[in-house]
Amino acid sequence: MSLRSIASGLRSLFRKEQITQELDEELNGFLEMAAEEKIKEGMSHKEALRTVRLERGTLEITKEAVRSATWESFAETCWQDIRFGLRTLRKSPAFTAVALLTLALGIGANTAIFTLIHAVMLKALPVPNPSQLYRLGDNNNCCVMVGTQNDGSFVLYSYSLYEYLHDHTPEFAELAAFKSSLADLSVRRPGDSTAEPYKGEFVSGNYFNLFAIRASVGRLLAPRDDSSNAPRVAVMSYRTWQQRFLLDPSVVGSTMNVDGVSYTITGVAPPRFYGDTLRSDPPDFWLPLSAEPEKWLLHNVDVEWLYVLGRLKPGFAPEPVQAQLTVELQQWLSSHREVIPQRDWKDIPRQHIRLTPGARGVEQMQTDYALGLRLLVTLSALLLLIACANIANLLLARGSANRSQTAVRLALGAPRSRLIRQMLTESVLLALAGGAAGLYLAYAGTHAVLRLAFRGAHYIPIDARPSAPVLGFAIGLSLATGIVFGIAPAWMASLSDPIDALRGAGRSTGDRSSVVQKSLIIVQVAFSIVLLIGAGLVTQSLRNLEDQNFGFVTDGRLMVSIINPGLAGYTEDQLGALYQRLEEVLPQIPGVLNASLSTYSPLEGSNWNERVYIDGKPPDYSGTAPSWLRVGPHYFETIGTRLLQGRTIDERDTPAAQHVAVVNETFARKFFPNENAIGQHFGMEDVGHSGDYKIVGIVEDAKYQDTRGPAYATFFLPLLQAPPGEQLRGWAAAIQLHVAGKPENLEPAVRKAIAEIDPNLAVLKVLSFGEQVARNFNQERLIARLTDLFGVLALILACVGLYGVTAYAVARRTNEIGVRMALGADRRNVLGLVLRAALAQLGLGLAIGIPAALAGGRVLVNQLYGVKSYDPMIIGFAAAVLAACAVLAASVPARRATRVDPIVALRYE
Amino acid sequence: MYSPLGCQEEELFMADKPSDLVQGTLDMLILKTLALEPMHGYGIAVRIEQMSKGVFRVNAGSLFMAFQRLQRDGLIRSEWKATENSRRAKYYALTEQGRKRLNSETREWGRQVAAIARILEAS
Repeated sequence: MSLRSIASGLRSLFRKEQITQELDEELNGFLEMAAEEKIKEGMSHKEALRTVRLERGTLEITKEAVRSATWESFAETCWQDIRFGLRTLRKSPAFTAVALLTLALGIGANTAIFTLIHAVMLKALPVPNPSQLYRLGDNNNCCVMVGTQNDGSFVLYSYSLYEYLHDHTPEFAELAAFKSSLADLSVRRPGDSTAEPYKGEFVSGNYFNLFAIRASVGRLLAPRDDSSNAPRVAVMSYRTWQQRFLLDPSVVGSTMNVDGVSYTITGVAPPRFYGDTLRSDPPDFWLPLSAEPEKWLLHNVDVEWLYVLGRLKPGFAPEPVQAQLTVELQQWLSSHREVIPQRDWKDIPRQHIRLTPGARGVEQMQTDYALGLRLLVTLSALLLLIACANIANLLLARGSANRSQTAVRLALGAPRSRLIRQMLTESVLLALAGGAAGLYLAYAGTHAVLRLAFRGAHYIPIDARPSAPVLGFAIGLSLATGIVFGIAPAWMASLSDPIDALRGAGRSTGDRSSVVQKSLIIVQVAFSIVLLIGAGLVTQSLRNLEDQNFGFVTDGRLMVSIINPGLAGYTEDQLGALYQRLEEVLPQIPGVLNASLSTYSPLEGSNWNERVYIDGKPPDYSGTAPSWLRVGPHYFETIGTRLLQGRTIDERDTPAAQHVAVVNETFARKFFPNENAIGQHFGMEDVGHSGDYKIVGIVEDAKYQDTRGPAYATFFLPLLQAPPGEQLRGWAAAIQLHVAGKPENLEPAVRKAIAEIDPNLAVLKVLSFGEQVARNFNQERLIARLTDLFGVLALILACVGLYGVTAYAVARRTNEIGVRMALGADRRNVLGLVLRAALAQLGLGLAIGIPAALAGGRVLVNQLYGVKSYDPMIIGFAAAVLAACAVLAASVPARRATRVDPIVALRYE
Repeated sequence: MYSPLGCQEEELFMADKPSDLVQGTLDMLILKTLALEPMHGYGIAVRIEQMSKGVFRVNAGSLFMAFQRLQRDGLIRSEWKATENSRRAKYYALTEQGRKRLNSETREWGRQVAAIARILEAS
């Protein structure tokens, strides 16, 4: 379309009167001139005009043809259709409200889920050219390993191996390494009375060069900062600078006390940068690897603890680089055979490196949430289908109700295409309005979903605001819904034969569209029962998980995490005094019944395991090594784990006393299957240590890490007992309190007491034990709540659909019902007549849906805990709820049918 | 929407009476007619019918759609004037652009007709 045509089209739109008048005059002139010619040939005036009209076309038709040939007339009819559509929608508010609500729910749920998927699964790191980034490794194994890696695919690297790869792979513009887990930092600004907990990440000096980002203020880390004799520097995240330091410019260049060491803040990272991994509570500070306080990590050639991410130079394909990396790995391993325990040497040739796309960094959340998100996509798609079926049903019912109107229009000469276009405009309007409402719902919904999914997180670097792709998705979805589910009803309505419709309006008892409507209801019922059964299964599974016997008591327990005393400047010989002070002070807080210390507490996310050597038995390398932790006096009483045999660890177990251990049932069963574990000896490190600890007690099993499987074999050591001449490994960083009343209420008193003991001893978090356990089920809870929500929505939609179709059938059959009643049918017969139809649809829907749910349940079965995928109670309950709601929905119009007055009904039309 | 040379209105011609115009040729004929002198709508219709010796009959709908199209493409312009019978009528005249278009289309038409003729006479 040319510019001139647009301009003249617009002109004619605005000067419509004048243009029409001119065309009128010109055409009149044309026809009159033609008529004059005829009159000259001897015709009468009237005859001449008639002949001209026949030969040249009438004035009106010509005008219409000329006018409709322009684009602006197309736009004009669209505008007319829109206004007409809005008017008809306004005239039937009940229909409009139900349709809008249905669409808003369907589109809203899908948009919310898509927002999450876009943010979590699709969005790249906010850095330039993220597609050039590649990760060395294909899994998310954490955190510290020794020797060969599972299945031979390397993902954790020692510093020495990283340096080797860095120096020998010139295909990478930059190859950076960072610690695979975040560190808890205790940060104190000069002048502050207490240290505050922050998250820190130790990264190689070229980390920011890898991402090719620039500082918001100051400068980022440089390779020269990452050496043991360089001055200590750190980079702050923008969000931390903004929220904790209020964008104070004096922060840059200032020094802060981090874990007892003075650091200079060199700069602030760019605003949206959250590091290498999308996760809740990303790093507040980035520190050079050389500053990592646990020096043994950095200097031990055999300790694998770093993730490596590289940026390929433009023009290099990943495959050859991957092959080369594996060659380099093999070279390095062959010259460092001592890092692999001899029993694993046979596995060395299998060790390799897989290069995986790193545009999204380390795909931790992507992997963790993949399954849950996939399930949610399926659920929301089901919900959308149900919503669409509802819309199609409503439109069909309307199409049939408007049949006589359509017939009149057809009879008056309206082309079918024009009728369809008009009806389509209406459904697209409806869908777009529904989409807009859905977008709003999605925004609110995404917030709620994020809160559910990351319970306990202070900050999630995910934006709930709909981005351009999300907006596009919602609008596209609305349009597709409107068009697909508007075309069929429009087409059907336009097929109605004018004569039929005009002759027998409202008198038929069944027709094509009612078959379609009933099938749609059956489909809806089937989908709904699938969703309801799914909701029942995952909800029951969550309840089983939360209510299981964990082997400890959560009521009235408060869990406090403090910074590792080593990071707050304590040395090994100062620990005893610190522990003693804590054990004295904490029980004196009013409301505290009991207090204890340990290296970590159950289900807080920590688990240490290590091989043990049993005195008098050959070393056993099979299976998972047992878990271990150090606990202080009263530990088991405080968390409510029962002692089964012997004694617990108490005040007697000082470093000087005999070294003892308490083990759990599984440990005792595993290592001493047919003998009493009490009195036996074992140790760690190697066979020479097998006499180190004497087992003095057995406690019941408790779950510390995995909530679904059985408890791990676990042994508990006193806080300060280490083999003679060896460093004490495992410093207490967890405090358990058994309290009277609501645990959360004690938080201020506990924080105050700890700050009084030592302000550098930063409190990382204070949680009730119940909350600490609950956070292990974030994903299960998210899925259960959303499935419940979707199940209820599906139930409502299916009932609305059933109500609509039944009500519509009753309205159409008023006449027939009147005749039946006149012929002697009583109310019960009529009620039965209407309800039977609705129940048939319900029954068919259940007959299709329940087997489908059983099949779907098999997919879910791995996700379920303590529930079978074919739990008859849940299936029965879901079916009963659906049936009850459906009968209720159908009985409203059915009762209306019984109140039909035969006289009125027969007189009707 | 329409294509520049108008292909979709064959049904608007009074089919079969005298004869259908070859698709897309009406615009060219109008331009040719106006190349002689500015003319009003009826005059153009009559001129085309006369020049074709009654082979073509042009109806008002297609004629006026063509005027609208040509005017929007800037090939003709219009003004109201009095006719010889002192009636007010809209006169159309060729623009410079229209003259160029007529020349190029005439050439193209000649080429095509010659080619078609060669094909038809080949056997």
